[in-house]
Amino acid sequence: MTLSELSPLSLPLLVLGAALIVLLADIALPKNGGRHLGLFMAAAFAAIFGASFFLDSSGRVFDGVWVGGDFTLFFDRVFLLAGTLACLGSLDHVARHMPGRQGEYYLLLAASVLGMMLLPGARDLILLVVCFELMGMPLYLLAGWAKTDDTRGRGKNAAEAALKFYLVGAVSSVFLLLGLALVVGMSGTTSIEALGHMRHSALFDLGLLTLFGGMGFKIGVVPFHMWVPDTYEGAPTPFVAFLSVAPKAAGFAALTVVFLAGFHVPSGSFMPLMLLLAATTMIVGNLFALRQESAKRLLAYSGITQVGYMLLAFATGTRLGTAMLLFYLLGYTVTNIGAFMVIEATASGDQGEDRVSDFDGLYARSPALALAMLLFLLSLAGIPFVVGFWAKLYVFIAAWEAGHGVLVFLGAVLAVVALFYYMRIARAMYMNEPKDTSPIKTPFGVKLAIAICLAGVVGMGAYPAPFLEQAMLASRSLFG
Amino acid sequence: MPLAAWVILAAALFSIGLYGVTSRRGAIGILLSVELMANAVNLLFISFGRYRGDHLGQVFTLFAVALTVAEVVIGLALVILLHRVRRSDVRVDEVKELHG
Repeated sequence: MTLSELSPLSLPLLVLGAALIVLLADIALPKNGGRHLGLFMAAAFAAIFGASFFLDSSGRVFDGVWVGGDFTLFFDRVFLLAGTLACLGSLDHVARHMPGRQGEYYLLLAASVLGMMLLPGARDLILLVVCFELMGMPLYLLAGWAKTDDTRGRGKNAAEAALKFYLVGAVSSVFLLLGLALVVGMSGTTSIEALGHMRHSALFDLGLLTLFGGMGFKIGVVPFHMWVPDTYEGAPTPFVAFLSVAPKAAGFAALTVVFLAGFHVPSGSFMPLMLLLAATTMIVGNLFALRQESAKRLLAYSGITQVGYMLLAFATGTRLGTAMLLFYLLGYTVTNIGAFMVIEATASGDQGEDRVSDFDGLYARSPALALAMLLFLLSLAGIPFVVGFWAKLYVFIAAWEAGHGVLVFLGAVLAVVALFYYMRIARAMYMNEPKDTSPIKTPFGVKLAIAICLAGVVGMGAYPAPFLEQAMLASRSLFG
Repeated sequence: MPLAAWVILAAALFSIGLYGVTSRRGAIGILLSVELMANAVNLLFISFGRYRGDHLGQVFTLFAVALTVAEVVIGLALVILLHRVRRSDVRVDEVKELHG
């Protein structure tokens, strides 16, 4: 094995290198040098994102245990983008609230991104589960990061949020392993590509179902969604921005690899079940979102609804459906990170208590932030012509072509319901009187992150074609 | 012992663990129950491997053990953290600042 054979893994290896530099620099630097580590990590993610356009990352590594191609490249870019935005948004928050532990924060973030980047290429169940855990474990720690109590007892909430997230995650990991034990035990192979040709038996199917359940926890599919709102509420907001998109994208990458490319399942008996889950997830997320007073919880339930739409695209099981799922994930990444960054700027920390009422009169206080939030909300709701509109439309087209007209209708109705709670925030921003008329001081990193997200939301809304083409390419490379 | 007996034993252990996770109130008790479930899965891996006469099950078990250990370490760290900020036993039914 020569070093050049590892070239398809160059992007994850670069992230690993950056993470190691942060680890060593954190030990070497004096205690107050941590802020530079965040800047370094953001720059490293951005640079690796740029490098992804020049490096050739297709090919098979370790006898086909890891396979790179357009599919991994697409997801790598999504994760690198999410990583960059999360680092930028965290700069000020982390430096202010946990100045002594900045290096560890970015190290854990990088470790999680590394796990995510390896996940879409995994073609062996052992590698898949190791990547899945590498992605998940740093997230538990990051969720509890605000451990020092401030005046409102946020540390207590963070610890509680992390423990709930952890307990649900640990149980779901065990279920994932149980599913793998049944699948591997009945088939005698861990190669995902070989599993497609296996004869199905009762235990094998039970294993598949358990495997789906284990992964469903991570993406927050109803009925495995209980941890989502609590964790979002208690965890640091810039981290929640990351948590709300990247692990979902990675979870769907894993589901797609295992169930569509590996087992060819939706042609079989699982399809009705997945469609049912998609419908329940859309409905439950919407109903709970209607009554939330906390902006973070509202976006948490809205995120559950969005997972329902993604699951609908996934459940079509077609090449087109998968391409639309990828486009949806990309659009959702820029939109949701942007929305959480606005919450970080306006309603978190010293500014407020994450409540919808903290947005009162934002237009008068800071018109730019209000406009950005409005566009993010419109994109989440799927209003023309921002990226969320195309994402929903394409998912509906794919689902319609796969013959799920009823679900398309349900999804369209629920999108109108969703407009109601998204516009509650918009109404607070534009119609209500502000309690405090001073303009909002947004830190530079958060500002930059919001600007990048805004460019993505508007740019992809105006010209979706090139991004759609990338998604199609990625989907084609997976299905062969 | 035939394969079916081992599978039933693993299923029983897994179910006891699952019952523990849902019924225990102390965080440590829940962690122990999760551990029991994980070991039931390992037993399943090894008995399938033994039945097939290959090493795949044992290899997978080694990875699973390493992952579970890492996970439990994080869990204990979080329990200690919650204990510190609350200064009392960690009983999950009292952990309800966030209204699930």
